[in-house]
Amino acid sequence: MTALDLRGVLCPLTWVKTRLALETLEPGDSLELLLDPGEAWESVPRSAREEGHRVKLGDGRVTIFKGDR
Amino acid sequence: MTLTEAEIERYSRQLVLPEWSAAAQYRLRRSCAVVVGAGALGSPAATYLAAAGVGRLGVVDSDAVELSNLARQPLHFTPDVGLMKAENAVVKLSALNPEVEVQSYPVALTAANAEAIVAGSDVVVDCSDSFETRYAVNDACCAQGVPLVEAGVLGFAGLVMSIRPGTSACYRCAFPIPPPADSVPSCREAGVLGAMAGVIGSLQALEALKLLTGVGDPLVDRILHVDAGTRWTVVETSRRPDCSACADSPTPAQSESTCSG
Repeated sequence: MTALDLRGVLCPLTWVKTRLALETLEPGDSLELLLDPGEAWESVPRSAREEGHRVKLGDGRVTIFKGDR
Repeated sequence: MTLTEAEIERYSRQLVLPEWSAAAQYRLRRSCAVVVGAGALGSPAATYLAAAGVGRLGVVDSDAVELSNLARQPLHFTPDVGLMKAENAVVKLSALNPEVEVQSYPVALTAANAEAIVAGSDVVVDCSDSFETRYAVNDACCAQGVPLVEAGVLGFAGLVMSIRPGTSACYRCAFPIPPPADSVPSCREAGVLGAMAGVIGSLQALEALKLLTGVGDPLVDRILHVDAGTRWTVVETSRRPDCSACADSPTPAQSESTCSG
């Protein structure tokens, strides 16, 4: 599992860095994110779902499973 | 290959585009574009290519900046009057994006030197203002197999087309015969509104970015006509089997230029 600490990073750089990390992964691989509460916590999972990835929330972390599109 | 933190921040608004990617950004960084003309079309075209992160950018123009240029050529500022446009473009574009290697060609592009100038580049953006130069650029790009974005603007109207030599219609396929010399008003006679040229030059940059990165759908075998910025019409065009520029699939030749190697 790849992990990315995006605490202290402002939107939209949070999603930019998430996308760049996802680009290096294979479909089905997962990416664990540490995100600040608020805008990042709200918008990064939404953006990930919109681009066809599966998202799991919990334990103060966001896990994104890379989609195959 | 990785992007630096500064690159991620600089290009963040294009990197968030669902269609864009780090791979697209790398392709752009490895690319070389040549912009022919640093005037009304070339100013926005070169500016957006440099800003977007093209790796190397050549700017061809043999003119000096004049006061009458400033209303439509936003690369050139009032204190730049008298400077060579190609060299001033290098100063401005390098200040905009120091990551880009910008090269000036302060020469007039002609049929004689066109192939040497375009050779080895990944796209040519023709921002020239005469039919003679357009045909010279088109023929050189066809001979060298270099993708090309053609455009023209006059008054409140303009057109744009992208060309993949040997695959899609070239400028000569679409416009095989130059109009009679006395029928064509020059920009000097007919006038042009700077903002209209800005629209067309920006579209040229957009087309070049599509051709370089593979992102999006370039205007190949199509001509986009923009009238007063309000009526946008796409006209289909196709290759002519007897085209003197692109009919025989020419073998791309290698020659000395900043873009080769």
